Amino acid sequence: MRMTNFRVSHVAAACALISTSAFAENPTLTNPAISAVLDGYYQNTERPMAERVEGFGLGHTELALSANIDDMFYGKLTAVVEMHEGETELGIEEAFIQTLAMPGGFSIRAGRFLSDVGYLNNQHVHTDAFSDRPAVYRAFLGSHYFDDGVRLNYVAPTDLYWTMGVESFKGDSMRAAAGGAHEEHGGHDEHDEVHAERDYKDIGIYTAYTKIGGDIGHGSWQAGLSYMRNENGRMVEGEHEEHAEAEAGHEGHNHSATFTGENTYIADFVYKWAPDGNYKYQHLTISGEYFKVTDFAPIEEEHHEEHSAGSVDDMQGWYLSSVYQFSPNWSAGVRYGQTDVQELHGDHFHPEKLKEAEVSLAWHHSHFSTVRLQYTNQQGTNYFGIEDDNVITLQYVMTLGAHGAHQF
Amino acid sequence: MRINSNLAKVVMLTLSVSYSSLANAKLNIFACEPEYAALAKELAPDAKIYSATTAMQDPHQVQARPSLIAKMRQADLAICAGADLEVGWLPMLQMKSSNAKVRSTDQGLFFAAEHVNTLDKLESVDRSMGDVHAKGNPHLHFSPQRMLKVAEALTAKLISLDPASQEQYKAALSKFSDKWAQATSKWETKAAPLKGKKVIAYHSSFRYLFDWIGIEQVGDLEPKPGLPPSSSHLASLLKRAEAGDIMAIIVASYQSERGAEWLGERANLPVQILPMSVGGNDQSQDLFTLYDSAIDLLLQYQPR
Repeated sequence: MRMTNFRVSHVAAACALISTSAFAENPTLTNPAISAVLDGYYQNTERPMAERVEGFGLGHTELALSANIDDMFYGKLTAVVEMHEGETELGIEEAFIQTLAMPGGFSIRAGRFLSDVGYLNNQHVHTDAFSDRPAVYRAFLGSHYFDDGVRLNYVAPTDLYWTMGVESFKGDSMRAAAGGAHEEHGGHDEHDEVHAERDYKDIGIYTAYTKIGGDIGHGSWQAGLSYMRNENGRMVEGEHEEHAEAEAGHEGHNHSATFTGENTYIADFVYKWAPDGNYKYQHLTISGEYFKVTDFAPIEEEHHEEHSAGSVDDMQGWYLSSVYQFSPNWSAGVRYGQTDVQELHGDHFHPEKLKEAEVSLAWHHSHFSTVRLQYTNQQGTNYFGIEDDNVITLQYVMTLGAHGAHQF
Repeated sequence: MRINSNLAKVVMLTLSVSYSSLANAKLNIFACEPEYAALAKELAPDAKIYSATTAMQDPHQVQARPSLIAKMRQADLAICAGADLEVGWLPMLQMKSSNAKVRSTDQGLFFAAEHVNTLDKLESVDRSMGDVHAKGNPHLHFSPQRMLKVAEALTAKLISLDPASQEQYKAALSKFSDKWAQATSKWETKAAPLKGKKVIAYHSSFRYLFDWIGIEQVGDLEPKPGLPPSSSHLASLLKRAEAGDIMAIIVASYQSERGAEWLGERANLPVQILPMSVGGNDQSQDLFTLYDSAIDLLLQYQPR
């Protein structure tokens, strides 16, 4: 009996130790930072290309584990639980290691991680001020682009923040759809055979980015330029298999980009301000990004002499967002964005346009709990059948476990 | 073989030259809070010192902003309060700045709280308790005894990073210690009438100041650590204030006075903003004048 009691008290002591150390400054392997994000919502209808469905649903429910592995490596694992047509899917969104002690301001990250292109992409969605990413992200990056690959980053030893990096990824989720199994052209003709086995490259994505930033008075800014090369981004003729799917089921949860091209250029900026630089009570965030996607039209083939695809406009999109926290308990945001894409119909492109105007109001009981009401007005031109849609989302996002440090 | 060994010698020589030249260069110090920038200035007057925050900014809530990443990238030493005060931003700065020197407390990272006994350590932490720190209250810079210990530990750290300037650091510490000991006894005499006085304050920001000079904080404007004052909580504080034994309502320089003023008007109590750190008001130019100012401001509510 005494022995058991002793053991029980040992276990209790160990439990107490673990619960206090969840807040530890430098988590280690025996003492990792564990955190979970709970996200649930009700939505009256769907936003195109977004992950949230109509009615009640669970959003980005995630469980993350991170720690310094040793004095050289940091590791993080983020598992995401998603519901898709009644099925529960477990996805790995992040599983990466990063060097901590390379000399000269260099670092390497490898595994599965969020690409550092643009401003929003490397932020976790639960820190967003809106329930879904702007349409331009949903169209060109599949909401947020994470993939298996490697990154080399360098931070310059200058007073003006200056970082630059290159990444390379597998790029499966950024592939333009295979042109093969398309029924419209009448089944198995020779056209099909040409494209049935599209030869995708194993390393699909290469990126390069640079960011600069600093302070002006009590405000802080950052601006970035990114380039993404997508080896598998060019469409082949007669493909809108992916589109058809997107139209019907809003693409489910495969995080694939809906519109791709060989070259994507991104310019981004963010400005944050707080009175006296004190973020405790009020603060303002203004951010915007511009995307341009080029070289998506199929390479001309001999049987189309007058191919309109060759002279099609580039795809592009942008958004501008402003969020003000006017008290520790309340914040409000407005966001406006436009996305111009080109959809291939047989041998020619249809221009499509989506405009989104959004307002959101969030109540924060503490830093860890948020309840948000968001209204989106969508104006579409040939865009998934959208003409004038109104979307209302009521959402909660709550985090539990270790304090996560947030990015700027 | 000969070439190889010569090459090795050249490499070794280059390394040792660059190492010693680094050691002799003045240290680049990143302080998380202005009180540690001020302490670093006392102990390493020649160093290049940058403070990430001001006394007007809540050190719990700091953005891991580009300018801070750029400063940390160049730092030889980062001095922070620790006890998880900076847990919401320091790890991100370390990750983003890719500076191996300030990764670990074995090298150029220094947490003041690791060198003293903090007050209010907790056995277990639950978020329902609010934003509390298991490792104890990190606002320890208003404890003169603890700051002296921190100064000694920081000097040891400076010497380990820059052994060539050992003598200067030792001299600076001994000068600071003498001056600090004298000032401490002066402050204690001056603050004696404040002993046993009761205040309502915002957060546990002045926990160590009150502990040292014997002031009792009978109420907190925050219902729970990290949560803003709520009207129901303020109403309960008003009830407490009716007992008539409270000297003043104390707010730190980075905290909003709104709740305090609401309560002060109704309970007929003065609201006093105390500098949270160096730069928190005009008088607080260094650690010595910071203490002077805080004690003087409290003494004005005391009949002499």
